[in-house]
Formats: sequence, structure tokens, C-alpha cells
Amino acid sequence: MSTRPVSRALFFLTAGLAPILLPAQDTPIQFNRDIRPILSDKCYTCHGPDPGNRKTKLRFDMESVALSDLGGRYAIVPGDPAKSEMIRRITAENKAMRMPPVASGTSLTPQEIDLLRQWVQQGAKWQKHWSFIPPERPALPTVKNAAWTRNEIDRFILERLESENLSPSPEADKERLIRRVTFDLTGLPPTPAEVEAFVTDASPKAYEKVVDRLLASPRYGERMAVRWLDAARYADTNGYQTDAERSMWRWRDWVINAFNRNMRFDEFTIEQIAGDLLPNATLDQKIATGFNRNHRGNGEGGIIPEEYAVEYVVDRVDTTSTVWLGLTMGCARCHDHKYDPISQKEFYQVYAYFNSIPERGKAFKYGNSPPAIMAPTVPQQHQLAEADAKVAAAEQQFAAMKDQLEKTQSAWEKSLKGKPALYWSPERGLLADFALDAENSKLTWEPNGAEFGSDKIHPAAAFDGKRTAVAGDIANFDYFDKFTLAAWILPTAGTGAILTRTEDKPEDMGYGLYLKDGKLQFNLIDRWLDDGARVETEQALTLNQWHHVAAVYDGTRVAEGIRIYVDGVSQKFKVHLDDVNQTFATKFPFRIGGGSGPENRFHGRIADARIYQVAITAEEVVMLSDPLSLNELVAQPPANRTPAQKHKLQLAYLSLAAPKPIQQARERLAQAKDERVKLTATFPTTMVMQELPAPREAFRLIRGAYDRPGEKVTRRLPAVLPPLPAGASNDRLGLAKWIVDPTNPLTARVAVNRFWQMYFGTGIVKTSEDFGSQGEWPSHAKLLDWLATEFIRTGWDVKALQKTIVMSATYRQSSRITPELLQRDPDNRLLARGPRLRMSAEMVRDQALAVSGLLVEKLGGPSVKPYQPAGLWKELSGGLEYVQDTGDGLYRRSLYTYWKRASPPPSMMTFDSAGREICSVRETRTNTPLQALTLMNDVTYVEASRTLAQRMMTEGGTTPEDRIGFAYRAVTARVPSRAQKQVLLDSFRYNLDRYQTDRKAAGSLLHEGESPINPKLDKSELAAYTTVASLILNLDATVTIE
Amino acid sequence: MKPIDLTRRHFFSRASTGIGVAALSSLLQQDLGASESALPGIPHFAPKAKRVIYLFQSGAPSQMELFDYKPKLVQYRSSELPDSIRQGQRLTGMTSTQSSFPVAPSMFEFAQHGNSGAWVSQLMPHTAKIADQLCFVKSMRTEAINHDPAITFFQTGFQIAGRPSIGAWLSYGLGSENKDLPGFVVMVSQGSGNMADQPLYDRLWGSGFLPSKYQGVKFRSTGDPVLFLSDPPGVAKADRSRFIDDLGKLNQLEYEEFGDPETTARIAQYEMAYRMQTSVPELTDISKEPAHTFELYGPDSRKPGTYAANCLLARRLSERGVRFIQLFHRGWDQHNHLPKQIVGQCQDTDQASAALVQDLKERGLLDETLVVWGGEFGRTVYCQGKLTADDYGRDHHPRCFTIWMAGGGIKPGITYGATDDYCYNITENPVDVHDLQATILHCLGIDHTKLTFKFQGRHFRLTDVHGKVVKGVLA
Repeated sequence: MSTRPVSRALFFLTAGLAPILLPAQDTPIQFNRDIRPILSDKCYTCHGPDPGNRKTKLRFDMESVALSDLGGRYAIVPGDPAKSEMIRRITAENKAMRMPPVASGTSLTPQEIDLLRQWVQQGAKWQKHWSFIPPERPALPTVKNAAWTRNEIDRFILERLESENLSPSPEADKERLIRRVTFDLTGLPPTPAEVEAFVTDASPKAYEKVVDRLLASPRYGERMAVRWLDAARYADTNGYQTDAERSMWRWRDWVINAFNRNMRFDEFTIEQIAGDLLPNATLDQKIATGFNRNHRGNGEGGIIPEEYAVEYVVDRVDTTSTVWLGLTMGCARCHDHKYDPISQKEFYQVYAYFNSIPERGKAFKYGNSPPAIMAPTVPQQHQLAEADAKVAAAEQQFAAMKDQLEKTQSAWEKSLKGKPALYWSPERGLLADFALDAENSKLTWEPNGAEFGSDKIHPAAAFDGKRTAVAGDIANFDYFDKFTLAAWILPTAGTGAILTRTEDKPEDMGYGLYLKDGKLQFNLIDRWLDDGARVETEQALTLNQWHHVAAVYDGTRVAEGIRIYVDGVSQKFKVHLDDVNQTFATKFPFRIGGGSGPENRFHGRIADARIYQVAITAEEVVMLSDPLSLNELVAQPPANRTPAQKHKLQLAYLSLAAPKPIQQARERLAQAKDERVKLTATFPTTMVMQELPAPREAFRLIRGAYDRPGEKVTRRLPAVLPPLPAGASNDRLGLAKWIVDPTNPLTARVAVNRFWQMYFGTGIVKTSEDFGSQGEWPSHAKLLDWLATEFIRTGWDVKALQKTIVMSATYRQSSRITPELLQRDPDNRLLARGPRLRMSAEMVRDQALAVSGLLVEKLGGPSVKPYQPAGLWKELSGGLEYVQDTGDGLYRRSLYTYWKRASPPPSMMTFDSAGREICSVRETRTNTPLQALTLMNDVTYVEASRTLAQRMMTEGGTTPEDRIGFAYRAVTARVPSRAQKQVLLDSFRYNLDRYQTDRKAAGSLLHEGESPINPKLDKSELAAYTTVASLILNLDATVTIE
Repeated sequence: MKPIDLTRRHFFSRASTGIGVAALSSLLQQDLGASESALPGIPHFAPKAKRVIYLFQSGAPSQMELFDYKPKLVQYRSSELPDSIRQGQRLTGMTSTQSSFPVAPSMFEFAQHGNSGAWVSQLMPHTAKIADQLCFVKSMRTEAINHDPAITFFQTGFQIAGRPSIGAWLSYGLGSENKDLPGFVVMVSQGSGNMADQPLYDRLWGSGFLPSKYQGVKFRSTGDPVLFLSDPPGVAKADRSRFIDDLGKLNQLEYEEFGDPETTARIAQYEMAYRMQTSVPELTDISKEPAHTFELYGPDSRKPGTYAANCLLARRLSERGVRFIQLFHRGWDQHNHLPKQIVGQCQDTDQASAALVQDLKERGLLDETLVVWGGEFGRTVYCQGKLTADDYGRDHHPRCFTIWMAGGGIKPGITYGATDDYCYNITENPVDVHDLQATILHCLGIDHTKLTFKFQGRHFRLTDVHGKVVKGVLA
């Protein structure tokens, strides 16, 4: 709340109503405007929609009950305040009788009591809450000063002004106007050339040309996106505890592009809420659903996943209802809404639209949590198409050799007969291969030497429960890595490590494949009990018999991504732990037959141990587990060979004996495939919504607690709002269509109100997050409805709406404040003057970068890390450190700045950025000393001052006067007055003298920031201009849109 | 003449040509972020304390090792925690799958101290000496079992982030006593216990839905104590003074043309910033403190950024009238190797915490300063990981833990509340987080049900819809 010292304002503030919103004495009382706010704020807690708190039958949110017979007494007798119990009680002298009760902590002001009395006197007329009644297109008001108006907006504004005996302000001067509209539509200042062109353009269309140019600029989408990102709680980190990185910038770029393409607001809505459910959903439509995955995700060790699974869904309901419906549905999470007609059950019925996605309550600590998709950018999609084409071409070339291949292979097969046994196994992605048939320089045998025996398969290494082979620092896989472990084993005891990389003590960090009581265990461990994956096959192996065993992990961090094979057959396994959250890479060596302590040494024999740095296919496992030599294979008639055997023979031939051209063709194919894999590994991923095949059950949660389910609920919309449109499915897609159905009374109003707020600082409904009964009555109700119906009529055309607003005479007024106007309307709700607002945090910084020539304009891409004082992350977490970018990353627009929720960019927060923890739709503006310190001393602004000074000296003419005029115009779009110029000149002279005397100080000042210093310029002079530029960047007029 | 006086005089002379002196002084009071008056009606009743120093022990110290003496645990050692005690209490995912829950008694000795006979462990010898100044609450409990929600709960009265912190509520409600310093200051230190301890978050001292000027200002031990406080290299004090004057003149011209009170407010903010450039370094410069001060707080107090140094700064801040001073000391999250880690944590904090109370008392400030010491939950009596002769760990325990309070409004030399022999359940006088918050507000003369802010149609308050003042701890 602003705190201007206006006595009338204070008087009304205590009444809980904004001053200008009160009716004039002679206008009839309106329930929605005058009475409901009082009843809601002061009475509904006990006499409202929530039965939990209702002490009596009497409730004031329902007309029928409020007027009913209460045993011979009536709370309200229309037309007769004296007989109305309500009036008697609110005016009772006796404190025990007085309503609201003293203990409630609330009381009615004399003005409120008077209003209630008048209302009863005038017949106690009820109205349904205004925002639940669909907007009707109002007739345009007749106004006296029609000449002032430029479009419909002005008629509504002027009608109110005239009724208050106020006149609108004259149009702003052209410099201020172009600066205002350029910031409002693009978030950046106009260039001096743009200002000049507009000032000298005398045509009646001059302003409209500017507006059209700005609306067509790609900067428009960036500007519009920022506020949407606040609403969508978009950030680059997960938000809880470790607060590690996630990747949602593809969603952010989708928003920018949607605004730039002028996507219809209804499509914009449907794609973000349910793009995944659209028929043949495109990649973009899936990316759009990231809106409802932008909420925070908890990966803290030890949390109870069910608790957070509920929080995520609640966040979606809260955010969706705030952003599109202006409803505080979250208030009905624990009990029926205290003010609005939304029951707790209805809250969970809406919840049921958002809980059926394949997600887990425990989010991944690092990176994107499922469901997430690969989301290549458009250039990457082109690269992928090229890679696909290369694979196809290579495949074709290889296929063209089929006849030759078959012919030569057949000859080779014949040649194998009678030759010494030849073995071959798949080689794709093979990292290491230990035959274990003889000493091997790559292995160290502990405690003392190896022992080998001969066997029908291999002369395999013997393990006696003490011995282990140490393979050293290889295969240090981490949780994003795909890998495979495989070996032949002949176990003589049920328990022992086969292949591991862990510390040599039980249940410690690392990974490994083990035999445990005859069953195969595969573990990926950070902490044994709660951080890692542990799976165990259901069936035990037969001891004293050779088996081929393999474990495959696909790098997805879930147990689902693990496969275990015995003798080539995929095994069913039990999941003991499925919570891979942190790295399981260790400094300990890879071992065969040991690891995890002396009690886990292998008993028996191990042969042909292999490590692959890929997740090998089921077929490759079958080939591996086939004990036959190639000679034995070819000895079988082709009809008896399994497909895997046939394939194995071919691969073996290709690898061992095929003619060069065939081998080369095959290599080219392998290479093309490999390149495709490498390419896709560079693609960003993004979290999306997906729908489970069958909806997850939903319950009313008693007191909102995850562990206290009440009755089961199904998807359904609140009864106070219209039903699903005909033909819409009862799922997220249907819900999205319902939100933008023209019969929905809220959506268009809420949307236009927020756009209005972007230009005027305050919405027509000031409480832009709450259109319910506790929200504020619109300052211009008919205008709101006109804009809402116009928005729908134009096909939800967002750019057209922006244009209508900025083309209005209302918007174009001068923002000069007269003392009279300050008294009458300190908050400018009547709009007898133009908006004068401090810029948003992004604009403050982007302006400095733009005018100093540092700004690097590039649409979209991963977030960047501009200047930030060292150590800010580290001192809070002891973990991750902020690694500042160099070069372009320092100078991108602020909406691309990396947003770490636990430690957001301090300069942004100082200028009132939303914290991005939760949905935020209202803008706030404070005025603090920390802002002053930031603008004077943050390297961002010191550097911008210096580079602006360089521009002054190289582009701004030759005299100090000209150069000062140049900078002043570049920043404020205006020419400085004589008095302003004088102060700036005096400052320049003082500083020139100062820095000529102390050239070292000049050098120090100039060295702030990474951008190069123009060596041709005199340092003392440049330092003096730097100070003048800093003065200009610190001006009130600079950080304000006038 | 000091430049500060000069600019203030300029300000008033300039302003007197503007919107009128009466309106202006009101503006000054209301719009200057840090020299703000209290909300109308506050205090609701006579306050006992003017300010709070909250020594937050982040990570959750073990109550069994420090203050809640449980001699019977020795005989229960290694035995399974009985179901009758655990009562189906939910456990964190870190230990819920443990195959057993063996009782681990504390390895540390306890003795009674002072006239009050308070039991304090050997780990806290300095705190033991001031036991008669302290009120131990052994029956704290919380609803959260993980750090992030638990610490968020203590700070904001709600487990999910988004609401204002207690310091922001107090800045909003009480305003500030000092026009040159922020009303809510935060300092962070890393303990020597668990170095990979839980992180903290800026939002823990954020303003939530209150205007951002009420958020805590973090004082840092490296770089500028307040971000961007220092002028850039090559800009001297006199240059900055001149700069502020020139900027004031330019903004005054702007004001004369446009008449927006925000412009005048901005002039004042720059002057305030300039004053902070003097007052903050003067505050954080402890070089002129006498040797016996450092002796009192311990050798660490000479090292910037340590808990001890922050305690000393807390005293200096309270001398200057800062309303809410909050220290966060990390490192108490001792899931493993507790006996080793907790020794380090206690060495970090024991002497300086006690010194702060004593120092405040000697300066006559303790009566008007409420000091609170405590973490976000307690730790389990059962062992996490392997219980050996000299090693054990403890998981998170929300059902009981100990905090202490001292100073303004609090009864000294008492113990409030009690727990069972297993230190698992509260047996008398439970104190919920909202109760503690209500009590802190009460000491400051605030009825916690009446300090509200309307947001999303609701009158929010720190204590949500709960909280009762703990009368038993009040003086």
C-alpha cells in the first residue's frame, strides 16, 4: 500500500475500501460494489461458505438464508433497518451483543455500519458475485468531452472522470510518449534515432506507426514473457534444499515465441495446460505443458514422497486458478473456502485433473524429473534431420552390398570348418574385456597372485573367497551414464561380488553386480538405505554350474532403466530401492570377484568379464551368452540357427573377415549412428505433462494432509461456474477448453486485467490475483467487461488488445501530477493522468545495457550468468559455486539471467522481482536505499556508465555540453533543461579536475567490468564522463517510465 | 560539518518548496525503508523486549547430547526402541528402512549448574555458567521432518515457501529504531561439524508477500558487508558525497516538474544509502573492541564470518537498535559420526552464545533484548547407521527438542516442559512452533493474531491460524 499523506485516503483506508471506489452520496447502493466486500471481510469467517466455522445457521453469502425466519426474528428485513437483527447487533451498545464479536479481532467502521443500514433501507438487494456473472458487452457511455477520446477505452475512463468533475491530462510530450510505449511493449528504451524520427514525424499516424513497429519487434515477446514467467514460477533450479539445476528454458522460449507469433490466447492456454493431450501433439505443444511442471521439486534425502506428490498437484491447482481464473482456490485445500463458494471437495475435484501424471513425489535432486522429453531447438531439429539422412544413406549403401555380403560370408563360413575354435562377442561400446584365462598386465591380484583352471568354456580364473582382481581406475560411471557389466560365472557359494566399483566395505558407495544367496543383485549406491538403486532377481542361480550374467543400466536414474540377464534371458527382479539421487562415482578401483568387504569375496570361477559403456541390447546379451564358438555355429544347418545366432555370425564376419569395401560401408553406418547418438546427447530436455493411461485416484484430504484421505472424488468443476462445454472430455484438455470457453465469466476478465496492469501499474481490479469476494471491486467495471468481450470477439488476439490499450488517449496522457490530483487520487485509479511507474527490475538493467551499447541481443537459449558478487551461492550452501559467464553471457537481457531460487540474482530481488517460488501475478514497486547502492556500485552499472561515457566521447560530439546532451537523450529520450545541463556540467568539471589530479583513481574506475576500454580516449576525461553517465543512470527519471 | 548533515539540510530546504513540510515528514517516516514507524495500534500492549537476537542452529542439534539429560538411556543401550514409545511416528526415508532401531545413549557427561540446577552437558561449559539467565524449553515440537520444510516453518509459520519470514513480519509491524541501518539483519556461518550440511536459502529471510523492503539484509563477512555498499575503485568518499548532492539537485528538478512524491522519496533513499556507507562499516569494524571483549567471545571472534564474530556483531547491532538480528550457524545435521562432529559444533558456538548473553547483561541490554537459541527439530534417540562403542548417528526427530531463551520478557533460570525417558515424546507442556512465534511476538508487545496482512483475499499472519502464547516462560 502506498503511503501518501492524504487524509481522505486514510479515512477510507480504514474502511477497507479504496477511496475512489466509494459511491457518491446520491448513487444507490450496489451489493457487489458496496456491501459484499464488508460482509466478506468482516462476517463470512463465521457466517460464510465454510460450515466448519459457522456458529449458527445464519449465513450472509446466501440471500435465502440471510432473509429467512430465525425463530421469529429476521437478520435482515428489507426496507426496515430497525427490525433487522443484523443492524441491531452491529450497532449494539452492549459489548456482549455486538457483532462482529470483540474476540474476533475485527470490527466495523461507522462508515461500514452506515452503508449496511442504507442498503437494508434501500431494500437489501442481493447480487450474485460480479465476477461469476459472464461479462456482457456494455453500451459505450456518452461523454461531454468526446473530442478527447480516441477509442472505446477513453469513453469509459472519461465517463468516470466527468462524474468526479475531473478532466483528463493533456497528451504526454512525444519524447516521453515514445519512451513509455517502447518500454511498455518491448522492455527496452527507444534509440535516439527512433525518438528523432517520431518527434519529426508530423503525420497523424506517427504514433500508430511506432506502435505497429514495436508490436512486430521480437523484443515484444521477450517483454511479454517476463510477467508470464513470474506467474508460471519459472526458474532454473529445483527450489528445495540442494536447489540444483533443472532445464526448462525450452519452455521459456516457447512462451517468447508464442507472444511474438501472436498466438491466440485460447490456444496459448490450451497448449500450456493440455498440449500433450491434443491429437498428434507436436513437440512444441508438449513443451508448452511445462507450465505445470515449473513448480518446485523436492529431492531432499529422507522426505516422504507422498507428501510432496500432493504439494505439486496443489501448486498446479493454485497456479492455474490464479493465473486464468483469478480465484484463490488454494484456500479450499484444508476446509471449504471462507469467502468464495468453493467447497473443499470441489478443490479436490479440480485437483483430480492434475494428479494423473507419471511423476514421483521425490524429485531428482539434480536435473529434470520425469516426465521429461528431449526438446531439440529448431536448428537442432534440422541437424537431427541431417543426421537421420546420413544414417539412411549409410544404411542404403550397406544394404546395397547385401548380395556380396551373403556370398562372401557363406564362403567364409565354409572355411571355418575344421579350423581351431574361433570366438567372437559383440564389440559395440566395449570399454574393457578381461578374458581371465591367463595373467593380464591390467589386473593386480590380491592378496597374492592368480590361479587359472581349464574348463569347457575357458581356462577361467579361480576365486577362493579371498582373492580379488583389481582393475584400477576404469569404468568410473555416474548416474547419467549408460553401461553394462557381463561375465561368465561358475559360483560355488551363494554370495559374492562379481564386478564392482565400490569401497571395499559392505553397503558403501559405488556400483556393482553381486551374487547374494544365489540371487543376482545390482546396486547403484550413494547411501545404502535411501539414495541409490538396489534390485535383486527373483530366481536364484544354480550353483556349481556355468552361467552368463549381465546387468544393463540406461542412465535414466530409475530402476525401470535396469535390466538383468541370466544366460541371455531377462530376469524379473524386486526393487529394494529406487531413489538414485546423487552421484555414485567413487575413487575406488574396479574389481573382479571382490569389493564391498572381505565378506563379499567370490567363490568359484569367473571368465570373460566385460564392461560396456553402452546399454547393450537384449539381442547383444543373447550373443554374449551363447557359448558356442563360431565354428560350432556354422556347423549347425542355417535353419537351426536362432536369429541372434545368425546376426552374431554376420557381425563376427563383418568384424573379422569381410572384404574392405563391406567393412568400410558398415563402419560408415556405425559412425553415422554414433554421430546421431552424440548429437542427441547435446539436446536439451524439458519437463512436460503426460497423462497416465488410467486416472490416479483422488481423495478429499482432511485438513489438506497427504496422509489423511477422506472420501474419493472424481474430476468435476466448481458448481458456481459453468459446466464443461458440450463435447469436451472430462480431463485436462476438457478443463483447458472450459477455461477459454466464451461462457467462462472469469478468464477473459482476468487476462485483460493483467495486461492492463502491465501498462498502468494497477489492474482495473487491483487484486489481480483474486477476483473472488475478498478481491477489490473494479475501478471501471464496464471497461473491464468491454475489454473482456472485445478480447473474445477479436479471437483472443493479444497484440490487438495491447494495441487498443496503448492507442487510447487514456494511456497517452502526461503523467505530470498536480497537487490537486495528488489529493484526489493519489494512486491514480481514476486515470486523470498517465502512469508514472518505476521500471521493473529487468528494465532497469536492460536499459543500462542498451544505452551503453553493451546489450547482446539474442533470442532464447540456455540461461546465462552475468555479474554477481563472488561467494553468494557458496556461503548459503557450501556446495555449488556461481560461475560467472564471460563475454556475451554478461550482457544478455535480464529474462535470460539464471534464476536460482535459493539465491536469486540480488540486484533483481532488490528491484522487486518475483522470487519464482510460487505463482506471482501482482507487481510491486518499492523505493529503498539498497536500490540506490545497486545503481551506484554494482559493476553492471559502473561498467555501463563507462561504456556510455565512451559513446559520449566517440559519438556525442566534441564539447562537454553536446556529450552530456547525447547521453541524456540516449537514456531519457529528452533534451536536458538548462538547469539540468548545468548540474551535469558542474559535475563533469569537478570530476575532470579530480581525475586529472589523480590519474590512478581514474584508471581504477575504468577497469570495472570486462568490456574493453577504448585506448584512444584520455583516461581522466573518460573517468569524468563515466561519473556523469552514472549520474544519468541513477536519475529518478531514468528508472521511471514517465 | 559532516556531509550527512549537509545533505539532510539540503533535503529539507529543497523539500520545503515542494509539497509541504507536514506531508513531507510523514513521507519520510513512511517511505524510508529503514527508519519506519510502527503500524497503527502496535504495540498492542507494553512490550518487554525491543528487539530479538535469534541464534538459529541450522541442521538441528541433538537435544540428548546438550540439554535433555536422560540417564536411563545407558541401561537401554542397544535395545530396540519400543513400539510403545515410537507409536507409529513417521520416520524419514533415511532410516525408515533400517532393520533395527537401537537406542544410543549420549556419550557425554551431564551436571547440574547454577541456582536453577539446570542439567547441561560437558559440551557446553560456557552455556552452563549462564544457566541461571536462561529459560530452557525442552518440549519444543514441530510438524516437519526434513530440513527445508522445517526451517521454513520456523521462519515463516508455514512449511511451504512463499510467506514472509518472522523478521520481515516484525520489520513490517514494528518499523525500525535506527534510520541508518536496516531493521532486519541476517548473518550466516559454517560450523566445523558437518561441513556438507544443509544449505540455507535467501527466502528464509525474505518478505514473501510483504513489500520487499521488509526482507532481511544479509551482512556478509567477505566482500562488502552489505551488497554493493562500497563505492567502486577510484571513487572517494568526497566524490560520492558530491555525487549524491548532484543527483539530489537533478531529482529535485524532476520533482518540480512532475510533482511525484516517489521522486522525493528517492532523494531520501540515496541519502540513506550514503549514510549506510558510513554506518555499516563503522558497525562491522570490530578492531576497536577491547581485548577483553575478544576474550569473552573467544578467539574465533577475531575471525570475520565465524559464529563468534557474528555474535559480537549481533551485540553491536542490538546496541544500534536493529529490531531483528538472526544468525544461522550450519553444521548440526549429524546423521553419522555425531560424537565427533558435535564437539566441533559446540566449540564453534558455546562460548560465543554465552558471551553474547553475558555481554548484553553487562551493558544493560539483556532486559530489552530477547535472545533465542535453537534448531529446526531434534534428533532421534535411536541410532542411524552402526552403533559402536564410540560412534553413532541420529536422524531427524520432530517430536521433541530443546531450545533456550533469555532476556526481555522471559523468566530466567527455569526449565519448561519435559520429555519421556527415551527423549522421544513430550510428557508435559508441549510448545509448537507457532506457540514460540506467538511468544516472541508477545514479548515485543504484539498480539500475534492481530499482526496481519491481506493477500489473496486472506488476512495472513505469522502464526497461520494457530499459536498460543506460552505464559509459563514469561517473566
